[in-house]
Amino acid sequence: MERIFGIDLGTTNSLIAAIENGAPRVIAAPETGKTLLPSVVAIAPDGAVTVGERAIEMEPHLTVEHGGQVSAVGYPGGEYGAVIRSVKRYMGLGGDELAPEDRARYTFADLAGPVVRFQIGKRVFTPSQISAEILRALKDGAERALADNEREKVERVVITVPAYFNDGQRQATKDAGRLAGLEVVRLVNEPTAASLAYGLNKLATGNVAVYDFGGGTFDISILSIKEGIFEVLATNGDTHLGGDDIDRAIVDWLLAGLPETVNQSRHVWNSARMAAEDAKKRLSDLSETEIVVELPGHTIRKHLTRDNLEQMAEPLIARTLKRCELALADAKLKAGDVDAVVLVGGSTRMPIVRRRVAKMFHREPLCSIDPDQVVALGAAIQASVLMGGQGDMLLLDVVPLSLGIETMGGVMERLIHRNTTIPTSVAEGFTTAVDNQTHVDIHVLQGERELAKDCRSLARFKLGPIQSQPAGVPRIEVTFLIDANGILNVNARDERTGREHSVDVKPSYGLTDEEIERMLEEAIDLGEQDLEERLLISSRNDAEQILGALRKQLGEFGALVDRIERARMDEVAERLEEARMGADRELIAKLVEDLNEITTPFAERIMDAAIKLALEKKSVDELS
Amino acid sequence: MIECLSCGRRQEPRLICADCGTPLPASLDCFAALGLPRRLSIDLAALERIYHELSRKIHPDRFASREIGIRDASLRATALLTRSYRTLRDPAARGLYWLDLTGEKLAENNKRVPVELAELVFDVQEQLAGMHDAAADSDSARGLAAQVVKRRGELQATMDETVAELERNFIRWDQSSPESPGKDHKMLTMELKAILSKVAYLRTLIRDVDRALENSKAA
Repeated sequence: MERIFGIDLGTTNSLIAAIENGAPRVIAAPETGKTLLPSVVAIAPDGAVTVGERAIEMEPHLTVEHGGQVSAVGYPGGEYGAVIRSVKRYMGLGGDELAPEDRARYTFADLAGPVVRFQIGKRVFTPSQISAEILRALKDGAERALADNEREKVERVVITVPAYFNDGQRQATKDAGRLAGLEVVRLVNEPTAASLAYGLNKLATGNVAVYDFGGGTFDISILSIKEGIFEVLATNGDTHLGGDDIDRAIVDWLLAGLPETVNQSRHVWNSARMAAEDAKKRLSDLSETEIVVELPGHTIRKHLTRDNLEQMAEPLIARTLKRCELALADAKLKAGDVDAVVLVGGSTRMPIVRRRVAKMFHREPLCSIDPDQVVALGAAIQASVLMGGQGDMLLLDVVPLSLGIETMGGVMERLIHRNTTIPTSVAEGFTTAVDNQTHVDIHVLQGERELAKDCRSLARFKLGPIQSQPAGVPRIEVTFLIDANGILNVNARDERTGREHSVDVKPSYGLTDEEIERMLEEAIDLGEQDLEERLLISSRNDAEQILGALRKQLGEFGALVDRIERARMDEVAERLEEARMGADRELIAKLVEDLNEITTPFAERIMDAAIKLALEKKSVDELS
Repeated sequence: MIECLSCGRRQEPRLICADCGTPLPASLDCFAALGLPRRLSIDLAALERIYHELSRKIHPDRFASREIGIRDASLRATALLTRSYRTLRDPAARGLYWLDLTGEKLAENNKRVPVELAELVFDVQEQLAGMHDAAADSDSARGLAAQVVKRRGELQATMDETVAELERNFIRWDQSSPESPGKDHKMLTMELKAILSKVAYLRTLIRDVDRALENSKAA
């Protein structure tokens, strides 16, 4: 049987892992040798896609912000492209559900629709399509890494999701898998996966808390382990709380007092963010550090101590601990009943996080496995469970949010309570309210609030057609079934005739089946091209982009280049022009790289000029 | 009769095929799903063991590579198992389910506050209102909050007593003769309804108290 692979599709980084010789291992892409693939996707106006480190490299050079739009200076024709980070924050959400800071970050098409769509050039992309590119990059990387010995294909996968993901977010993740040409055998909650990686099944009986503080999300899960059965007792979390928020707090402090135009410049903000993140990481080992942000014509230099950083992080950590308390209460346990605490996510490298967690649970947390890898390793173990390779081990996960229906007066009637073990189902009887009514409208909700309007609309559907009968006579039994992935399925049956009703569930958010089919067709068109051919086309596109960009930049900013530099650029550009007509992919790639290197200082000068223009109205004094 | 999708054997509805061990998409009551006799007194540790054992056999993770029909049967069987386990694990849910099985309903004739709880309900609501109106961070607010915390403990004790009462009712059900139910069952049903309605009220009270304490902490 072909192997099932485990994928951690993270907000900041993504990884792929599999069981090799009985032990889980993360698979590194052969070209970079790196196991972490940054979850960053660059899309050119013509649709050419770049993922990972290379997409990050494109970011500072190729994008500037003006008029609230992120535009790519590096692409020909002056069209807009974009480099998208943290696409996970957008998965399965409607425009009205976006956090304000997420809404401001990119340009969207039709925020009123049931699913957010990134507007990039003349094209629109759903978050699932962007995520599919990350999955495809992981798949391709792993297949290249495994090509030598077995030419193995990556076709069936387990993908991890934050435990707190709702139905729509889970569905969007599954859609992304399908769009990447993968069969998603199971979605697994990240904290649960992490507990598998620690081999806690050797702990015959006990309770485990998994504290997962990542870049963008926070999750806490409480599990009970008994003879190989991992039973999740409760889970809680915040989909908008992570290390990024700590970085942002540092950036706010760094940029405090700067004029707004500068503050809001994407370039300035990006530089500050990177400096902030680096400083935060350094302060996990050091007690103080210097932060330097180079801006055109000005340098921000500030001194940050670990104490300062911890003060900034404190309120965010307090929010995570509040979530831990809620999860413990739901699990009907006290902090002292927990026998082991597992740390997951890069943010748990911060000493203050470890201290606070240790204090809360009265014990030192486990952190021997790299917190960036632990989820992917656990996903590989779950994949192995699905292949029958882990003996008696079994995971019993829960649904994170209550599921219910809207009843009269807009009240939410709970049918399945949060933290119910899945798969589970509940049957509810429906009838008609007036004579000869032919349809019953049902509105499915997810959430913990009393009123329907405060819960998340999950889906609407019409029961029927129902045979004309007096009010209250028809009896239709609707079964709401939540599968092992935490995704809702609905079917209905006429209790008198036993006939199954077709239920056409229209998701309130997310994509319809037809939309997925259409995207799949597009994706298959791409997938059928030979890999080599795709790589050649991709490198030709790279060549076209950089040549086009150079022409355009030289036209507008030619004065910033001296004669010698210009001659070198022209020479390499000419050779590239010639090479891109041929089929030597490696030559094209090399020349693109050369040209990129030669023109980088030029691109930086253009950027500086643009920033200076923005800063001109403010005196330099205001900056310090 | 139900047919196994894997080996084709026709058999009485059950959770797992008697021949090949494949899950069956049967409709079963909660007791039958767990292979238990219809008795109300249940040893929770044994119940959990049975649940885990059956989960190991029928969970969808065990059939991930099988054909869709069998995967679907496994999903449905596991959903039924989980629901049955949750229903029987919680004494109040078990009692309600028992009423359901015997064709009774709690809601009818039981809308009023149980008499023995009337005073308690009134007192708690008074206290919560007082706490709500007291100025934040004042001495009187702290005093009232302390009283409510104490009250929370008393409510829990009353709840524990009521659940014990419920367990005693369960034992009497199990001892009652199934051959001549009649009067016995009528009385037991009335008592069961009264206890369950008490449990429901206590749960609501405890939830309200917890919410009020939560909000006062947040303020």
